[in-house]
Amino acid sequence: MEIWITAIIYGLATSGILFLVSLALSIGYGLMRVVNMEAMLYYSFGAYVTYTIISVTGSFILGALGGMVVGAGLGLIVETQLLRKIYDRPMMFTMVVTFGVFMIGIGIIQFVWGLEPKPVASPISAIVKIFGGVQIPAYRLLIIVVAIAAYILIQLMMNRTIIGKALRAGIDNRENVEGLGVNINKIFTITFIVASAFAGLGGALNAPLVMVGPYMGFDMLLFAFITVILGGLGSIKGTMVAALILGQVINVGGTLWAPLAFVGPFIVMFFTILIRPTGLFGKEI
Amino acid sequence: MNKRILSILGPVIIIVLMIIFRYIFPNKITFLTEVVIFSIYVMGNNVLMGYLGYTSFGQPFYLSTGAYSAAIYFAYFGGNIFMAMLVAVIVGFLLSLVLAPGLMRLKSSYFTLINAALCAIGVFVFERLLIDITNGNDGLWFRGNMTATPFLDVRYPKNFFFFVLLILLIALYLYQKMDKSALGISMKATKANPEKMTFIGYNVFLIRSIGYSISIMMSALAGALYAINFGFVNPSLGENTRAIEVLLATLIGGVGSVFGPFFGALGFLGMKDIVSSFMSRWEFVVGIITIVVLFKFNRGIWGLIQDGAGLLQSRKKREKTVKVEE
Amino acid sequence: MSGVDMSQNALIEVDDLYVNYGKLAVLFDISLKINQSEVVFLVGRNGAGKTTLFRTIAGFLHPKEGEIKLKGESINGMGAYRIARKGVKYIHQDKQVFGDLSVKENLELSSYATGDYNWEPVFAMFPKLKILIDRKAGKLSGGEKQMLLMGMAIIGKPDLVMMDEPTEGLAPHVIQDLAVSFKEISKTTTLFIVEQNLPIIADIADRVYCMKEGKIIVEEGCREDIQNLCFEQYL
Repeated sequence: MEIWITAIIYGLATSGILFLVSLALSIGYGLMRVVNMEAMLYYSFGAYVTYTIISVTGSFILGALGGMVVGAGLGLIVETQLLRKIYDRPMMFTMVVTFGVFMIGIGIIQFVWGLEPKPVASPISAIVKIFGGVQIPAYRLLIIVVAIAAYILIQLMMNRTIIGKALRAGIDNRENVEGLGVNINKIFTITFIVASAFAGLGGALNAPLVMVGPYMGFDMLLFAFITVILGGLGSIKGTMVAALILGQVINVGGTLWAPLAFVGPFIVMFFTILIRPTGLFGKEI
Repeated sequence: MNKRILSILGPVIIIVLMIIFRYIFPNKITFLTEVVIFSIYVMGNNVLMGYLGYTSFGQPFYLSTGAYSAAIYFAYFGGNIFMAMLVAVIVGFLLSLVLAPGLMRLKSSYFTLINAALCAIGVFVFERLLIDITNGNDGLWFRGNMTATPFLDVRYPKNFFFFVLLILLIALYLYQKMDKSALGISMKATKANPEKMTFIGYNVFLIRSIGYSISIMMSALAGALYAINFGFVNPSLGENTRAIEVLLATLIGGVGSVFGPFFGALGFLGMKDIVSSFMSRWEFVVGIITIVVLFKFNRGIWGLIQDGAGLLQSRKKREKTVKVEE
Repeated sequence: MSGVDMSQNALIEVDDLYVNYGKLAVLFDISLKINQSEVVFLVGRNGAGKTTLFRTIAGFLHPKEGEIKLKGESINGMGAYRIARKGVKYIHQDKQVFGDLSVKENLELSSYATGDYNWEPVFAMFPKLKILIDRKAGKLSGGEKQMLLMGMAIIGKPDLVMMDEPTEGLAPHVIQDLAVSFKEISKTTTLFIVEQNLPIIADIADRVYCMKEGKIIVEEGCREDIQNLCFEQYL
């Protein structure tokens, strides 16, 4: 029994990371109809910056903040210098261009940090006992809490602030929002920065759980894609639900039969898309 | 006129070019063989990208399916090289029959990513699920099982080069036929406007499925040739990370053209060969080249060749008109 | 002499405008003037280029040649949102409100863009919107959507409101109500309307432009001729 509770809670932590890193992909598509392959750069740069700041200052909190700032900064540059200029090009074009940017980013990581994967120590080593004796590392619980906070924050932003309302209107019909006199580009940029910052935070949080390496973004890209596709491109709620499902598939499934941890998500996505081509919460586009 | 001459002479130019390279760089024969095989692989991707408008991030899956089909045939059933190629193509065809009904209904972006998923599933199948048959990560070795072929024993790299060149010639010839045929035209029309094609009574689903099938069979054939060339196969051939290579080669060559894929393969592998001789990791360079190609040379190398030919043509015309005026 | 007067009051001036979609030319040599506090109608068949002209003035398309002036200042190549902030509001065809947002949120968006949070004029003109304030805009009827769009347009006291087929697809009694609203709005704002409904045009138009195949073929400025629908022969 204990092993399953552990798996479920580990699964929630995995869901938290998946949600944070997938948001930039989902929002990039929802706003601009661009499948922005480079989104995982914010995640891997976030992790690397966290690694560097920890090795200099020893503070994980500073590291995570640094990761968020760098993620946001990269998002700002990419959105204003690239995505905004190509959003009306064909899907194939934008996918391959942003993939090119992704490759360049990986190259930069290799120049700056080298090829060797870097270990990051977990900031909290405490073990928490829940449900009468199931031992869970407190760090996993922290990830779950942070991800929930991020979800609430983004929902508040979407539903309560005028920027969020303009954003929802803009996803619905970009031109009409502009026609009212709203500078929709500015709104998109702000949102994209928030999403990139979350991806950077995802990288920072995941750094102690995986080795920080040049290809970590590549490995994550596939899972992030599965998350947004399963949830429906452009839907934040869908991204959250898909992250929850996949976290359990990876951890509970992996406990059941180890290879499922890797291939399970692909199988889930494959059959979901064949049955519902727009994902769980996606709209016909 | 020049463009037409160029397209008629295309296959000949390509074959002669490769034979010249073969004798100028005698120690580069492995590289040149790879260029030829890769061309067939790129041609397969070009059917999806250039004719149907689908971008697939899962071509390595189809490649490795072909390679493993051939490898399993060699390892367990027989040694005939032609049979191995046939088996790979048939497996590719059957695979397309299974997948087309699901995949050809999808929007382009979902198709792209579903293929990425297929790629990951493929690696899993070859590495873990079929480990008793494929030896997993150790790879499946079978060079000793291949039997000699009549006339030209293709087990030797020197002969194999001419063998794949012959296959490329046949493939180019058929590809050109396809391009000019009703199928090629209706594929391109479907890419441009699927709704209109449906309205005027074409079965868009069928057209796409045929194109998809051709693409997979060509990839599987290329996979089988890779397997024969190396004498072994391992799961890394089908990894997701390699999906970009074939996309990029297609773009460099010129999307949707008949001879573009060959020049794309030559350009891409040549570039890789040169860059990797002074840089161990070349993602950075590939990324920059991708972006430059997309923004500046979106018609690819073949487009440049055509422009060049067109330029010659117009210069001649201009000379003629000048003479008339004189 | 009146020509000189008109140019002094001109709110929008379009000179020798050419617009292309890619390589395809769609508007040719369009020149027109809209003066302060006029009600101007644009008529023509489907595909004549009416919507293209509106979209160009609103800044969603950029002209290949020619000039568009707003109060004497060139707005060529200016972004759509900046033109809207300068006081030119454009209500698209098909009554596209933001369906996921409530009526209140729709109005808030317009206020956010213009900085004008006074909704009293809107409710004075369309009392129904006050009742429907928390309804999702996607659930409104066609006439209510058009009211909401007009309400959103007049927030910020624009100089010009352009409407593309505002009465299309609506029931006759709804159209009558809207015609009253048009008159009401025209007291404070210049109106430029694409319309097929001839009685409305006859009732309130100061001037009518007819378009055909990307060109303006007739300008009708005489009230009497408009009331007798003299331009009908060109449609």
